[in-house]
Amino acid sequence: MKTQILTIKTYDDHKLWRKLKAGDEKSFSLLFEKYYGDLINYGNSFSPFAEKVQDCVQDVFADIWLYRESLQEPNVVKAYLLSSVRKRIARLYERDHIFRKITTTDSIEFLFDFSIEYELIDDETTAERVLYLNKLLNDLPSRQKEALFLRYNQGLSIEQVAEMLDVNYQSANNLLYRGLLKLRKEWKGSFSILVLLSSGVL
Amino acid sequence: MQKRNHYTELEDFLADKSFQLWVLSKIDEQGWEEWTLEKQQRAKLVEDARLLLLAMKVPAHKISSSEITAALQSTWLKIEVKENGSKTIKHNSVKYLKQYWAGIAASLFFGLISLWFYNNQFNINHTDVTYKELIEENSEGLVEQTNNSNKPQIITLSDGSSVLLQPDSKLSYPKIFAGNERKVYLCGEGFFEISKNPKKPFIVYANEIITKVVGTSFRVRAYSDHPNVEVLVRTGKVKVSSNELTGNSKQEIVLLPNEALRFLRKDLSFNIITNITEDKTLVSNVGNIEQLSFEFTDIPVVQIFKTIEQAYLVEIDFPKDKLKDCHLTTSLSDQPLSEKLKIICKSIGNDTSFEMNGNQIVITSQGCN
Repeated sequence: MKTQILTIKTYDDHKLWRKLKAGDEKSFSLLFEKYYGDLINYGNSFSPFAEKVQDCVQDVFADIWLYRESLQEPNVVKAYLLSSVRKRIARLYERDHIFRKITTTDSIEFLFDFSIEYELIDDETTAERVLYLNKLLNDLPSRQKEALFLRYNQGLSIEQVAEMLDVNYQSANNLLYRGLLKLRKEWKGSFSILVLLSSGVL
Repeated sequence: MQKRNHYTELEDFLADKSFQLWVLSKIDEQGWEEWTLEKQQRAKLVEDARLLLLAMKVPAHKISSSEITAALQSTWLKIEVKENGSKTIKHNSVKYLKQYWAGIAASLFFGLISLWFYNNQFNINHTDVTYKELIEENSEGLVEQTNNSNKPQIITLSDGSSVLLQPDSKLSYPKIFAGNERKVYLCGEGFFEISKNPKKPFIVYANEIITKVVGTSFRVRAYSDHPNVEVLVRTGKVKVSSNELTGNSKQEIVLLPNEALRFLRKDLSFNIITNITEDKTLVSNVGNIEQLSFEFTDIPVVQIFKTIEQAYLVEIDFPKDKLKDCHLTTSLSDQPLSEKLKIICKSIGNDTSFEMNGNQIVITSQGCN
């Protein structure tokens, strides 16, 4: 059932992409409406300037339309969009830096903080543990956080995470692994014992 | 089907869409609840994964559908602007453009289109188009000017356009622009300021690239140690296409303010660079003339002449005593040199005129009104 859902979703994106490529404005609008929110939220993780982020996201879409004929069809449309937005924001930052005569930064920083699903927590013990986990997560280096976000919140594959962060597969895997490893280590409790057990199984 | 029976790590659960759906939306499509309770050890792992998911919420700033609709509209507007060029920019969407370029507006020079062309000094293969070939194509009877000195030379063309030709560069141009187009041929580097004439587009031929403008100013730069041709636009609209002589199918690319294009001479392909500052070579090659402002507000004429001297590397001779108390407020950003001088002279007074002779400019004046 799960695979079925996923297939329909990807098929839809690719169908939209192909129609868009053929000049179908409706498909362009549908794709825009589908992902605009996600892209804005992701973009806002890098920049406190909401207006600039909106501009970046809109420019990404504008370019897709303008250069649709020469664009390759991405494997995963969402990953392509996220990545395009990230690149554009990174460029914006570099440009601002250049014009401010400050040495350029290597990359932009993911300034995002995870929050807590309070609505789904109904007892105090859980609330405490979740709060602690959340703090650990938010204390992670920003790259690890971003990798976790892309992998588990945006549902990208490890390959796609690697591509977006411009690292190889192994490094992306490490980023993800180290992120959770720290949680496992620091979260003392049954957590760690279980990890030991499960790694024994492997 | 039961892939999850082999789940041993938190990651397995976190990445499972159906698991996420169950934890976060309480939609249990696959009977996670029952499955979890089957084994105690499993239940522990599931619980940990669940807690982690609860701690990993992404604060979704809900974007209303009206906001999305508005965003979509402004995106179509952006597309229109990019497609139609500067005219639409002025009328429809100054606002969006302003936002977009706000970051660099402060350091924007004064309405220039800058183009950089890079020559390839390495082996020239069959598709490379040389200056000589280009000249031979033209039958208008061209004048060639070569700058063998070590400082830029100013050339004024018959239509009033000016070209600041850099050392080791040459420009061929007809004495008088006949016909419907103004064609010039460049080898090296030059800063162009084109007098506006929508009926007679101005065309720069350089290497494999043809650059077409209607009237504005831009830089063409052709260092001989680069395998690329690069075109960089500051303001206005520039059309770039490959020369038919390359044997390539004719592809035309429209560049708008602060967009750039890199033409790879090796395989004749265009790469659009939507952000010029990404490219350090482009940024570092900004010339004097692009950095000086030509917006003057109540500025002594003497100072204005000094600015022009610095920008064009010319010498201006003027009656200092007669002009020492003259102030001007004027915008000379998007004007060729001769046009700038004309405007200044006219502003000073009726009995003021100028004469250009190479890098020497002589102003005659009886003082300001």
